[in-house]
Amino acid sequence: MATPVLRVESLCKSFGGVHAIRDLSFDVNEAQILGLIGPNGSGKSTTVNSLAGLFPITSGAITLAGAKIDNLPEYDRVAKGLSRTFQTASTFTEFTVRDHVVLGCNVTRTSHPLSSVFGIGRKSSEEEDLAARVDRILDITDLTPVQDQRVGTISSAQQRFLMIATALASNPKVILLDEPAAGLVSHERKTLSDLIKKIRDLGTSVLVIEHHMALIMEVCDRIVVLNFGQKIAEGTPEEIRNNPVVIDAYLGEAA
Amino acid sequence: MARNRTFILYWLALVGFVLLPQLISVKYYIHLCVLALIWVIAAQGQNLIQGYTGYVSIVQAGFMGIGAYSTALMGMHFDLPVWLTIILAPFVTAFFALLTGYPSLRVKGHYFAIVTLAFNMVIFIVLMNFHDLTQGEAGITGIPKPGGKDALFNWRDRETYYYFVLIIAALMTGLAALIVRSRIGQILVAIRQNEDLVGAVGIAAWKYKLFAFVTSAMFAGLAGAIYAHYQSFINPEIFGIAQSLDAILAVIIGGSGTIAGPIIGAFFVVFLPEYLRFADSFRLILYGLVLVLATIFMPRGIAGIARDLMEKRRGRT
Repeated sequence: MATPVLRVESLCKSFGGVHAIRDLSFDVNEAQILGLIGPNGSGKSTTVNSLAGLFPITSGAITLAGAKIDNLPEYDRVAKGLSRTFQTASTFTEFTVRDHVVLGCNVTRTSHPLSSVFGIGRKSSEEEDLAARVDRILDITDLTPVQDQRVGTISSAQQRFLMIATALASNPKVILLDEPAAGLVSHERKTLSDLIKKIRDLGTSVLVIEHHMALIMEVCDRIVVLNFGQKIAEGTPEEIRNNPVVIDAYLGEAA
Repeated sequence: MARNRTFILYWLALVGFVLLPQLISVKYYIHLCVLALIWVIAAQGQNLIQGYTGYVSIVQAGFMGIGAYSTALMGMHFDLPVWLTIILAPFVTAFFALLTGYPSLRVKGHYFAIVTLAFNMVIFIVLMNFHDLTQGEAGITGIPKPGGKDALFNWRDRETYYYFVLIIAALMTGLAALIVRSRIGQILVAIRQNEDLVGAVGIAAWKYKLFAFVTSAMFAGLAGAIYAHYQSFINPEIFGIAQSLDAILAVIIGGSGTIAGPIIGAFFVVFLPEYLRFADSFRLILYGLVLVLATIFMPRGIAGIARDLMEKRRGRT
C-alpha cells in the first residue's frame, strides 16, 4: 500500500460565483509522479496555486506528510516540504544562477539570518553542506556550466530548469511543476522528462501539470484528469489513454 | 579583485575625509560637511529600504525628527547623559517604525510611498501641535553638546563635531555594507526584483521588509539625534516632507542600491543648494531642474556611472 505524502480532500475553490474547483480529491504518493491534465480552464493551475497557498481555499483539506497545511502561508508550506515552479518563467534576473539556487536553500538553514551580518554564530558546516547540495542540484539540472552567469543572460529553457533547481533547493517532499515543458524544444523536453524521473528516483514526489501529452504519458505513474473544475478520471497513463470520458473531454480520438 | 579595489577606494575616501578639515579654510564649509555627513547616515538608511528593497519610503525626515526630539526630551526630562540619549534615540524611532511599518508594508509601490508620506505629515503635525511636549513651532533650544563640562575635546568646535560625525557615518556605512552583503541583503535584493517569487522560495518577505524599514528608521533616528546635539536647536520645519524627498534624491542621485551612492548623494543635496545661491530667488527652481535632469539622464546615479566606467575600463585592459 503506497503512502500518500500529499493528500487533497474535497478541495473547493470559488472566485465569487465561479466554482473553479469542485470537490477535488487525490493523493500524491511517496516517490510518485502524478500528472494533472485537462483542457484550458479546467482548474489545473487553480489547483496548484491552492496547494501552494497563493490564495485561500473555499473548503476542503490539504495535508502534507500527515500535517494539515491549508491554513499556512505560502512560505511556510515551502518550509514544510511543498515547493513549486511557475507556468511562465519567474526568476531573480540580477542574481547569478548559483546565487539563485542558494536563495532557494534558505528554508533549510538553521543559523539565524543576523549571523550572516556580523559573522557571529555562523555555522561553517552549514555553508559546506549547502555548497555541496547546490553543486549536486546544478549538476542534475545541467546548469553547472552557467552557474556564474546572471540569470537574465541565460536561455529561457535554462531559466525553466533554474526554477526547478531553485524549488529542489528547499529539499521538498513534493514538488509542483506548473507546465514545465512550455516553450521547450524536443531535445529539451527529453532532458526535462529525464530530470523529472531523476527527481522521483531521489525520493521527491512530483505533481506535474502539462499539456504536452507525450511527456505526461512517458513520465507519470498516475494521472488525474480535470474538466470544469472536477475530477473526471484517475488512473495509470494506459488507463487514461483509453478512457472514453477523457478522450471525449480532452484527448480526442488521435491520442 | 574588484572587491579589493572597492575596499581600497573606501579607505582612500576615508583618509580624504579625515584630511578634509585641514584643507578647508572657511569654517562654514566644515559646518556643511557636518550636515552632509549626518545626511550620509540618514541616506544609508533610506538606501536599505529604497535602493535595496525597492520600497520608496517618504518618511525618513519624520524619523529623523523622532530621533532628534527623543534625544532632546530624554535629556531634558530624565536628565540622562547625552551619549545615552543618542544611543537610545534610534530605538525610540524603531518603536514608531514598527508601529507604522507593519500596516504600511502590506501595500506596494506608490501606495506604500503615499502611506509613508502620510506618516511624515502626521509626525510633522504632532511635532507642531503637541505644544506641551515639543514646544510647537518655537522648537527646543539649548540642547547640550556631548561631552559635558570637563570634556576631553572642545565640542563647540565644529572640527571636533566633524570628526565625531565622521566616525559615526563611517561605522553606519560599514554596518549598511555588512547588511547588504549578508543573506539578509540578498533577500532584500530578491524582494526588489520579484517579491511574488520570494514567498514561493519559502521566505517570509514581510519580515525582511519590516527589518529593512525599521533599520532604515534607526539610521534616520540616529542622524536626527546627532543633528539635534550639533545644532542645539530643533523645530518641526526641518523634519518635513521636503527633507524626506531630499533623502530619496540623495539615494537616486548618488546611486540607488550601492554603498557609495548615499555618501555622494548626501553631499550633493547639502552642497548643491549652497552653490546655487548665486541664482538668488531662482535657486530652488534651478535646484529642481538639476534634480529632474539628473534623474532622467543618470537613473543609476553617480555611483552607477562610475561603476560602469570602471567595468568598461577593466573590459578594455
